[in-house]
Amino acid sequence: MANITNDAAKPERLQLLRVLGPAHVWALGVGIVLVGEYMGWNFAVGKGGMIAGLVACWVAGLLYTCVAMIDSEVTSTVAAAGGQYAQAKHIVGPLMAFNVGLFLVMAYTMLEAANAITVGFLLDTVAGMTGHSGLHQQPFIVLAIMFLAWLNYRGVLATLTFNLVIVAVAFTAICVLFFAIQFGASNVPLDFSAVTEEPLPYGWLGIVASLHFGLWYYLGIEGTCQAAEEVRSPARSLPYGTMAGIMTLLIAATLTWYMCSGLIPWEYLGQAGTPLFDAARVTGNVWLMVLLFIGTIFATLASANGCINDASRAWFSMGRDRYLPSWFGAVHPVYRTPYRSIVFLVPIALIFALGAPLDQVVTFSILSGLLGYTFMTFNMVMFRRKWPLDTIKRGYVHPFHPLPTIILLILCSSAFFAVFLGYGTQLIAMMCFYIIASLWFHFRRYQYVRRGDQFTMPWPRPQGY
Amino acid sequence: MDIWNFLEYGAWALSVIFGAFLLIDLIRVDTTYDNDLLTSSREGEIEATQERHTI
Amino acid sequence: MAYEPKKQGLAAQIFDVVTLLVLTVGALYVPLYMGLAGAAKTPNPIENPTWEALGQNAAEQRQWEALGITDPASVNDMITARFDYSFSWAALIIMIVSVVGYFVLVVRLSDREYREVLDERFGSKRKGG
Repeated sequence: MANITNDAAKPERLQLLRVLGPAHVWALGVGIVLVGEYMGWNFAVGKGGMIAGLVACWVAGLLYTCVAMIDSEVTSTVAAAGGQYAQAKHIVGPLMAFNVGLFLVMAYTMLEAANAITVGFLLDTVAGMTGHSGLHQQPFIVLAIMFLAWLNYRGVLATLTFNLVIVAVAFTAICVLFFAIQFGASNVPLDFSAVTEEPLPYGWLGIVASLHFGLWYYLGIEGTCQAAEEVRSPARSLPYGTMAGIMTLLIAATLTWYMCSGLIPWEYLGQAGTPLFDAARVTGNVWLMVLLFIGTIFATLASANGCINDASRAWFSMGRDRYLPSWFGAVHPVYRTPYRSIVFLVPIALIFALGAPLDQVVTFSILSGLLGYTFMTFNMVMFRRKWPLDTIKRGYVHPFHPLPTIILLILCSSAFFAVFLGYGTQLIAMMCFYIIASLWFHFRRYQYVRRGDQFTMPWPRPQGY
Repeated sequence: MDIWNFLEYGAWALSVIFGAFLLIDLIRVDTTYDNDLLTSSREGEIEATQERHTI
Repeated sequence: MAYEPKKQGLAAQIFDVVTLLVLTVGALYVPLYMGLAGAAKTPNPIENPTWEALGQNAAEQRQWEALGITDPASVNDMITARFDYSFSWAALIIMIVSVVGYFVLVVRLSDREYREVLDERFGSKRKGG
């Protein structure tokens, strides 16, 4: 600390602290996402039946594998806080970057709110099981957000080490449940007869529709990029952590589908609030119930924690470039975190967590994520076209280009259609929001932005410009 | 009053403490340090020093 | 010539943030207040619900029991509820136009700004043709 303030001879700059390794990147990515296995994914079963749930699980898995590959390549080359925001700024242009920044902040802040709501809901359930009805959920929702904001404020290393521990516990809980069931710990046998008796209650349309919530299995894995400026060697750690993360999630998602579909009638599963916890209840084993309760709480906290981390990085980067008031682009002199952004986003998250219904918040989050993935498709094509492989050195080059991009675009279009089935109004309301925000940025806000300073990478001039 | 009521009050109290820490520290830092120093972070420092991306 | 941005005062900074917030909260709550939000399942309850009539086999009955549900009548609605996936083509076309139009708008305006950025960063280049 002393070396920061006392060194008056040369002007010192405050930077985010570069302390993270690949394991932290993994914990950040998986931490945000793993809660999707504990709640939310099962609405896919409700929207299309059991087979549709599994197809959605794997199709969404393919979508996110493409996302992870594309993201790893670009981020290992653009190592800056803000992740996709900084990518968009260098590859597509300022207005796109502003929109991507908004996607990120919206997706993560909404997800953080959804997690806090879930913590309150779970505690209410447990209080109900012990005979206390009518628990006030608000104090616990507020506490979850306040505590995690405080943790984030105090430093990134402690925050993500904490995440690493609780994510590991939550992932282990899923594996333990799987092996326990395999070795006969369940009173009730696994039953997959609905797969043959009622394979597709909504026909093929049900499979497309279920893709909407199939995204929940993995939503947020792309958040690993936000840590780029705080990782010790981004070109190596980011691809590593992200790829390990998507593999972990593919395993967890398949196990989760298998256990829940085998233990819970699909009609119940399709509307359950906490499916893995319910699966543990069906086994009749108290230890498994306790374990999965802990897993659920840890998964929600890890997710909210990662979301605060990522949303504040994106907000901070936009402030640093004056896309937002420059006040937000500040780094704490001691903890080296974007402290003003963290504090500012706390009341925002509270507004959504205390005031809006869960499915609204979740849909807003999914849609913002989806817009972000759509952006990645043409971003990747432009990246390879403006800087071909032999012009700049990339930390990681993903194989089979442009196949992943094409697959991603097709899957994104299907996912838009899936959201449209049932949530069309929100989709159009959100498009209006982003269009108005874009016009606002282009015609008003952009006058405060320094032009040349936005391009910070030591790359040559892009080809064709 | 059972244990859950105490937990509710405990949660409110802890929330206030964490919130107060955030606000007090924010005000303390903002009044102690020069704003130009606080906002001196720039994107691309890693690239400028270590990862040059040259082939 | 490098573009020198205007200085923004504190009040204007706050005003800009508030504008964004109002937009966000509006996008979230307007569909809600207009009663347009959410997909609903419609239950089609059957007469005299038994586990068999509801299509639940022996193993599934034990699972319901483990979830604390022993009376088939209480989950009649839950088991028979179905989504309605009918949609109007006009709405679908509006959706496609708004999504595609949005991306086209953003990318085109971005490109204009991007060229300015490059000119300032790498020096102005005369474009041929």
